[in-house]
Amino acid sequence: MTAIPPTLRTERVDARDKVTGAVRYGTDRVPPGLLHAALAVATIAKGRVTSTDTAAAEAVPGVRLVLTRAGEGELASAGFLLGGGYGFQSLQPLMDDRIAYRGQPIAIVVADTPVAATEAAALVTATYETEQVSLDLDAEGVEVVEQAATLPPMFADLVAGDAEGTLADCDVRVEGTYDLPVQHQNPMELIGCVAEWEGDDLVVHEGSQNSGAIRHGLAAQLGIDAERIQVISPYVGGGFGQKNSLQPGTALAAIAARRTGRPVKLVSTRMQVFHNASFRPASRHRVVIGADRDGTMRAAVHEVDQQTSRHDLYPGSYTEITARLYGIPNFRGHQRLVRTDVQTPGYMRAPYEHPAAFAFESTVDDLAHQLGLDPVAMRLANDSTADPITGQPFSSRHVTECLRRGAERFGWERRTHEPGSMRAADGTRIGWGVALGAYKGAAVPAVARITASSDGGLRVEVGGHEMGQGIRTAVARTVALDLGVPAADISVVVGDTRSVPQHLTAGSWGTAGALPAVGAALGELRKALGLAADGPADVAAAVAATGQANVEVEATYTAPGQPPEIVLDRLRRGLPAAGGPVYPGFTAFSFVAHFVEVRIEPVIGRIRVPRVVSVADCGRVASPVTAASQLRGGVVWGIGAALREASEVDPRYGGFLNADLAEYTIPVNADIGDIDVDFIDVPDPLLNDIGVKGLGEVSMVGVAGAIGNAIFHATGKRFRHLPIRLDDLLG
Amino acid sequence: MRAFTYTEPGTVTEAVAALAAAGPGARFLAGGTTLYDLMKLGVEAPAAVVDVHRIAGLATIDTSGPAELVFGGGARMADVAEDPVLLRDYPALAESLAKAASQQLRTMATVGGNLLQRTRCAYFRGGRPFACNKREPGSGCAAREGLDRGHAVLGISDACIATYPGDWAIALIAFDAVVDVLGPAGERTVPLAQLHVEPGEHPEREHTLAPGELILRIRVPTTGTGRGSTYHKIRDRESYAFALTSAAAAVALDADGTVTDARLALGGVATVPWRAAEAERSLVGQPLSPDASRRAGEIVFADAVVGTSNGYKIELGIRTVVDALRIAGERATQ
Repeated sequence: MTAIPPTLRTERVDARDKVTGAVRYGTDRVPPGLLHAALAVATIAKGRVTSTDTAAAEAVPGVRLVLTRAGEGELASAGFLLGGGYGFQSLQPLMDDRIAYRGQPIAIVVADTPVAATEAAALVTATYETEQVSLDLDAEGVEVVEQAATLPPMFADLVAGDAEGTLADCDVRVEGTYDLPVQHQNPMELIGCVAEWEGDDLVVHEGSQNSGAIRHGLAAQLGIDAERIQVISPYVGGGFGQKNSLQPGTALAAIAARRTGRPVKLVSTRMQVFHNASFRPASRHRVVIGADRDGTMRAAVHEVDQQTSRHDLYPGSYTEITARLYGIPNFRGHQRLVRTDVQTPGYMRAPYEHPAAFAFESTVDDLAHQLGLDPVAMRLANDSTADPITGQPFSSRHVTECLRRGAERFGWERRTHEPGSMRAADGTRIGWGVALGAYKGAAVPAVARITASSDGGLRVEVGGHEMGQGIRTAVARTVALDLGVPAADISVVVGDTRSVPQHLTAGSWGTAGALPAVGAALGELRKALGLAADGPADVAAAVAATGQANVEVEATYTAPGQPPEIVLDRLRRGLPAAGGPVYPGFTAFSFVAHFVEVRIEPVIGRIRVPRVVSVADCGRVASPVTAASQLRGGVVWGIGAALREASEVDPRYGGFLNADLAEYTIPVNADIGDIDVDFIDVPDPLLNDIGVKGLGEVSMVGVAGAIGNAIFHATGKRFRHLPIRLDDLLG
Repeated sequence: MRAFTYTEPGTVTEAVAALAAAGPGARFLAGGTTLYDLMKLGVEAPAAVVDVHRIAGLATIDTSGPAELVFGGGARMADVAEDPVLLRDYPALAESLAKAASQQLRTMATVGGNLLQRTRCAYFRGGRPFACNKREPGSGCAAREGLDRGHAVLGISDACIATYPGDWAIALIAFDAVVDVLGPAGERTVPLAQLHVEPGEHPEREHTLAPGELILRIRVPTTGTGRGSTYHKIRDRESYAFALTSAAAAVALDADGTVTDARLALGGVATVPWRAAEAERSLVGQPLSPDASRRAGEIVFADAVVGTSNGYKIELGIRTVVDALRIAGERATQ
């Protein structure tokens, strides 16, 4: 391999465009004749609309359309992403009179200006019949669903050995019940789209992690051929799982555009994004761990109740990582879903793994404390090489190295064991905590196409979306290093259905799917051009030698063990197609170890996190700059989740009360101290040819646990809920 | 947001006349950081807006005088926060501004408008379907049985428990500030302590300004006690958040460390800027100790009334007083 040019070590390929504002996001588009839409929403938590009054809205100057109910045959549900469909939920507003949650749209208003549309939407009024609501896990009237008995086998309980039987004869047992709150992703870019008809063809510009699902979901909703729909999402202003599917407003904008004969832009307000898009559901975890006196963990039980909606079963997958954090031979996971009156929850960065790791790693910390063992040493002693659930080896697992290297960088050996034993001169209590995280090594089928030109240009089209994680940089870097060409000569096309099929880019499989496909396409290109199998190449000359202006090659990648035709067909139909973490012959996970220092000031008790050390095992690091950014960003999310973020629900009203960025307190710069990140950077030998595992999600997993453990070390108090705020420390 | 008429008069006299001419429901516009926000939410729907933010002379800052500090009502929060005299001699005043909102908002918002910032109560801001006596008199108070972690424990009534949101007024009230206002009936001076009113049965009435009165300037009597002061703001994150509790504290100490003058006011805990006069008196004539500070804090909250989730504000408020007095004491002896 050639030496890495400096620019490839240090820069995002689109950094300049981003900071100069040259990047165009979905709703930046302003086609000629554009109209603007706004939504009117229900003010009740549950029931039915008995009448709607749109007269005042229609009287607002500039209003073109007020639509409260789609016409017969005009609109269908796109189905739920995890129920064979495409939408974040199966419920499509404006199809009937049912109100399932407060904030559900009851009308779309289209006007010449956003101001007129907003004003008119506020003037739409409705009368309702209301019904009793159940809003949280403990509310009267919820319906509890046994997940394993209801959903397909991939959501079955994970079981190994005999957990309960073994617990009974362990030397020690520790147990805790943990409550995790509702949270919202809050990407800076609001959910929105621009819908334009060109004859019978529909073009949608929308920031999305899943342009393929938008295309095929709209086809189902509008009753037209998917070939007539193109979705363009070159940049996403933060997705975090919330933009992983078809949003209910997109079809409404398309219908409005068709009815008015003009392009229509619909941008939800921040408050609407809290109510008409997915969120991290509330969950409750009971964890029991049994161990020998020397700290050998022999059995564990992890039971979870997770909120879902009345209309969809958003499955839980919490025990997938807790069964694999250690080599615990006897494990029983159990997951139940609790139907409440809310929009359907969904994926938010480390959706299951963050809550699960907080619960499990807090309990592990309790165990170490009870046994008088060092929490790092006890974790090292419980590492595993085989997957306790399947008995298979891990494709790669460097947990021990993550812990050792992290402990060294952090200075862990200076930690004193007793809670409350470390104090600054002014009385500030200091706590040091550690926790592990893991995330499945998923793999997604992908298609890559490379077009090489005789002028030296290289155009790389691949399945994936750029949500800021740096997929363009990782792809450009892979091609540049392979061929020995400048990254500036490479244009990367992602998030565009006019190109190759676009997968759901989530679950840390985006880069892990795109790069192997690109790698395979590079092999095809070398073959087509008669180039050596590796090493720097004069691509332009090789193309010129063919006598053609361009040479185009295409390659596909499918995960080990996945039937290529079936998953590629799903990919082409815009359906989720990812595989993992269990593959034939091996199990794949990314791992991380987080070390956290908290400082709790003496009088007030404000909790601060001055420094974090995180070491990740994500296989080969495909792009050092964006990888470090991913890991730091995950730590910031963990700090927010541990100490600040919760969406508040008033049980009388439903919906979410603190639905703006002032009151939903994500961390600010002043809350974040030093974050020191490092990578094992050893290629995974089995998951794909490139050697990458996922990184974006695992980065956050375990941060909250490490913070909770550090607070315990500082205070001797164990908090079993999040966020842990200063009013908790007063008691 | 509803259509409204917009005028931009050139002088304060014209502004007052323009507002009177515009009829009921007209609003002065200064930085716009609260008014526009509430207009977008539909909580404020003025038929007319009179923009005063470019009026010459309204933004003057004069901290050079021997008797008083003078801040034009239109002065920007960011500018006042960086005034060198304030930073040196009245850190509580500077900190109360620097710890408010975000730099972008402070660059827009004015020190006059900030005094009348309206509450952050989510039931007030949320509009339908929440009951709110402040927004819709007589509709009830959704906060009283609701999510009240951020709500007031002092100065509340059956009709309203909304917290006064500002920081600047807390520091000002501790230093006996007064406000000069101009209205249709001419100019008058209102002590800051008499500007805001507790909700009682009429939470929709938040201040004692007559319709059409404009805040011309804020005046603060000079005092050496300012040097030993702080504005201590406790919140859910370290920037861009409203106070859960806050305390403006100032002390002057004699050579023996005995308190000769004490100023104490609290934010985040009351429906109006809360001057703690009895607590101040308890401190004077004694050494400034953690115990004395704690007693002062306990005096502040002696009559506090808590709801469902805001009971922590009593202990947190007391500790905020203790910590603020410690910082003020350290500065007083430097």
